[in-house]
Amino acid sequence: MDNPFAQEPRASSSWLWQVITGIGLLFLLGLHLVAQHFLVKGGLRDYAEVVTYLRNPLVLVLEVLFLVCVTTHAMLGVRAILQDFGLSARVEQRLSRGLTGVGILTVAYSLLLLWVIIH
Amino acid sequence: MLDVTLEIFRYKPGEEPHYDTFAVQVAETAYVIDALDEAWALYDHSLTFRHACHHSSCGSCALRINGIEKLACITRMTDVWDGVHPIRLDPLRNFPIVSDLVVDVSGFFQRMSASHMQITRDAEPILPVSVDKPALGVQAEAISLPENLTRFNRFENCIECGICMSACPTMATDEKFFGPAGLAAIYRACQQTDDPTETAHLLALADGEHGVWRCHSAFECIEACPQAVDPAGKIMALRQELIARRFKKSGR
Amino acid sequence: MEPFKHPGFYRVGRWFDLRRRKAGMWAYALNRITGIGLVVYLYLHLVVLSLLLGGPGSWNAFVSLARSPLVLVLDVILFAGALIHGLNGVRVALTSFSRGVRVQKGFFSVVMVVTVVTLAFVALKVFGG
Repeated sequence: MDNPFAQEPRASSSWLWQVITGIGLLFLLGLHLVAQHFLVKGGLRDYAEVVTYLRNPLVLVLEVLFLVCVTTHAMLGVRAILQDFGLSARVEQRLSRGLTGVGILTVAYSLLLLWVIIH
Repeated sequence: MLDVTLEIFRYKPGEEPHYDTFAVQVAETAYVIDALDEAWALYDHSLTFRHACHHSSCGSCALRINGIEKLACITRMTDVWDGVHPIRLDPLRNFPIVSDLVVDVSGFFQRMSASHMQITRDAEPILPVSVDKPALGVQAEAISLPENLTRFNRFENCIECGICMSACPTMATDEKFFGPAGLAAIYRACQQTDDPTETAHLLALADGEHGVWRCHSAFECIEACPQAVDPAGKIMALRQELIARRFKKSGR
Repeated sequence: MEPFKHPGFYRVGRWFDLRRRKAGMWAYALNRITGIGLVVYLYLHLVVLSLLLGGPGSWNAFVSLARSPLVLVLDVILFAGALIHGLNGVRVALTSFSRGVRVQKGFFSVVMVVTVVTLAFVALKVFGG
């Protein structure tokens, strides 16, 4: 008999990545907020300060890592909410592809932004 | 005696859903099911609701009392009536409504049977129908047990009332979700099999986007379950097991 | 004889229907709302950061705008959202590994207390300079 609830197993990956990026964000977002806003007089750097700050390689690496983590976490979160609508397998697949695309575009645009600012 | 107003959800196919109010008088010791019976007996024989055992064994009378899922047979009127406002009775959420308080629970039982729950327990066997009750007209041979089973009973504490599925927010929109009771049944079925193939099959059933990973930890199933089945606890135990197996496999 | 089903948008409302529900459901709804809010903010943030492309002029104009009290209030709200989502995320992750399922309601209280205390410090810092 066909089982109406039979599923594609191994769906734990997205959940696992959500946890991993979530843990990463606890540190990276904390760092981002403290370094970008709390340690700065007035809470925001002016243009020249931003450029100098981002030219620090350690800062740049951590900010890029933060960017990747936050985008992945956000896309997986949006996907989780949309999947709660019980969509068809086909729509679900398109959704995953679409969100992967949006995530890649987001990271790419942000990297471009960083590149332009530094140079 | 208590003079109580019931505000009951009404729906008949082809009609618009609405609420009807019934003023009933019940004893201080009455349960909600007694008040429902009064409303049916005194005012409206077309009022439909499920009930059978009247002692929280069958799970038939599950409904929502003032919004929250309960068994009408074990909920005292004095516990849900504030003395002023009407008591609102609604059918379970997340099930198609057939008529008034009666919902279509077939989806629930599809999930339970999909979980391959082996229905055995030594403590409370259901004995073959006794021949000393011939009035029932049923012979002992009439009960055919599944192969390899000499006696059977249903799954542990779960009375298959559907309350957890009504309380679950994911269930509200995702009809593909296996649901709290079904996943708890998978966990229980895993516990009582020694066959690794069967365990793998059961875990594969739980390990889907609409299996254990669809749960978003609202824990309302635990709050609402009248029998302390702890469905979300079992979902989390399944997650732990699935993750552990995944890393053990890839570590080899 | 069609059974009655509530329409989809009505059922989505159940994600946020907290009437007579317990702490776990509050945590679920808050996590979802803050999550959606943070995603929206992420893109808003990127739009704002794009002002850096316009050079010192446009960015420095934004910086002075961002120091207005209204924006600072929004910053504190944003911080509250991030705190709730992050701390509750720890709760959700731990319970998902079968840690603390039985004490999840108390766990949520801890999340909220830590959020309020941290937020008080943040608000002092933001408005106190």
